[in-house]
Amino acid sequence: MNEAREPAMSAEEMLRLRAELEAANRKLTEAYKLMSLGRLVSGIVHEINTPIGSILSNNEVTTRSLEKLAQFLGEAQQRGTPPPAKALEIVETVRGLAAVDKIACERISGIIRGLKTYARVDEADLRKVDLHEVIRDTLKLSGCEYRRRVAVETDFGDIPLVECYPQLMSQVLLNLLVNAGQAIEGEGKIVVRTRNEDGWVRISISDNGRGIQPEHRARIFAPGFTTKPVGIGTGLGLAITREIVVDTHKGEIGFESEVGAGTTFHVRIPVEHPGSGRP
Amino acid sequence: MTTNTQPAVLIVDDEEMVITSIRAFLRLETDYAIDGFTDPEEAVRRLETHPVDVVVTDYLMPRMNGIQLLARAKELQPEAARVLLTGHADKQSAIQAINEIGLYQYLEKPWDNAQLLLVIRTAIERTQLLRSLSEKIAQLDMAHSNLKDVQSRLLRAFL
Ligand SMILES: Nc1ncnc2c1ncn2[C@@H]1O[C@H](COP(=O)(O)OP(=O)(O)OP(=O)(O)O)[C@@H](O)[C@H]1O
Ligand SMILES: [Mg+2]
Repeated sequence: MNEAREPAMSAEEMLRLRAELEAANRKLTEAYKLMSLGRLVSGIVHEINTPIGSILSNNEVTTRSLEKLAQFLGEAQQRGTPPPAKALEIVETVRGLAAVDKIACERISGIIRGLKTYARVDEADLRKVDLHEVIRDTLKLSGCEYRRRVAVETDFGDIPLVECYPQLMSQVLLNLLVNAGQAIEGEGKIVVRTRNEDGWVRISISDNGRGIQPEHRARIFAPGFTTKPVGIGTGLGLAITREIVVDTHKGEIGFESEVGAGTTFHVRIPVEHPGSGRP
Repeated sequence: MTTNTQPAVLIVDDEEMVITSIRAFLRLETDYAIDGFTDPEEAVRRLETHPVDVVVTDYLMPRMNGIQLLARAKELQPEAARVLLTGHADKQSAIQAINEIGLYQYLEKPWDNAQLLLVIRTAIERTQLLRSLSEKIAQLDMAHSNLKDVQSRLLRAFL
C-alpha cells in the first residue's frame, strides 16, 4: 500500500476542513472581541462609577433638602410670614443637582449604547447603517480608555448609509482607536474623518503618536505581530481588522505613518455590499 | 491659641459633577469652607497660598494624577490630611500611595456620603490637632529658649 499515491484529500473533506477553518476563525474573532472588551472594563467601570456616585449623592441631598424646604414652608405658613430666603436657596441647589443628574444619566447611557453597538448579539445582519452613529458610539467606549489624556476630534463628511455589519464595523473602529491611543505617549490627539468617495465611504483615523517603524510596516497586519509588551498586545487586532474590512466587507485598508509624528489608517467600505444580491 | 477658623476642604476631580455633588452635600451637612477644582494644577496653586485641613482628590485626571497631586500637597502642607476618592478599580495604585505619600484614607466611587463625611470630619480633627500640637511645640521651644536666655543672664550676673 502506497499512501503517497492516494488523492491528498477528497473534495468533500476539503469542504469540511474549510468550514472548520472558518468556524475556528469566527471563534477567534469572537474571543478577541471579548478580550478587547475585557481590557476596556476597568476604564468603563471608572467612567460609570463617577456619574453613579454623583446621582446617588444628589438623590440623598435632594431628599434631605426637600424635607428642610417642607419644614421652612410649613413654619412660614403657620406664622403667616413669607418663606425665608433659605427656602429659595434650597430650590436653587436642588435645581442644580437635577441638571447634574441629567448629564450623569446621559453619560451612562452613552457608554451603554457604545457597549450595545459593539457587543450586540441580536443583530448580526447586514444592513444599511449610519456609520457616524457607529463611530460616535464606539468613541464612547474607546474614550473610557484614554479620555483623560487624548483629545478626540471628528470631521464628518456627507456620507450615505452604508450596507455593512455594524457590530463588526464597531470592532474595526475600536481596534484602530485603541491602537491610536496606545501609540500616544502622554497627551495627544486623535482625529476621525469620514468622506464620500463615489460608491465608497472612507473612514480615516489619525493619531499624533509615535508612528510605525519602517521595518515593521510590512508586518503589522500579520496575526501575532506586536511591538507591545505581553499582556498589552496580542498582535491580533489588525489581522482581524483587515479580515473584517477586506474579506467580509470587500473593502480596503491602508495606512500612512511617520515616525515621531503619527499614523493615519484609512478604511474604505463599498456603500453597497457586493454580496448582497442586488439585481 | 489654637486656630479656631472654619475648617477648609479642597476637592479635586476633573469631573465638575463630582465637585457639584460633594459641595452640595457638605453645604447641607456642615459649615466647612469648600473649594473645588477640576484642574489639579490650579488646586496646587491654591495649596501654595491657602491652608486647608483636608484634600480629597480623584485619581485619574489629565496632566497630573491624584497621587502626584497629593505628593505636592504633602510638600506644601504636610499636616493637611490626604484622601483619595477614585473610580479606578486599581487597588495597586492606592497601596503605592499609602506607602509613598501617607494617605489618610482611600475611598472608592460610587462613594457613600455618610462615610465620606465621617472621613472628612475625622481628618479635619486630626489636622487641627496636629496644627495645635505643632503650635504648642513652637511655644515650648520659645519658652525653652527664653529660659536659656534668662539662665545665661543669671549666670553672667553671678559670675
Ligand atoms: N496607530 C498606530 N501607531 C503606531 N503603531 C501602530 C499603530 N497601529 C498599529 N501599530 C503597530 O502595529 C502592531 C500591530 O497592531 P495590532 O493591533 O495588530 O496588535 P497590537 O495592538 O500590538 O495588539 P492587540 O491586537 O492585542 O491590540 C502594534 O503592535 C504596533 O506596533
Ligand atoms: Mg491593537
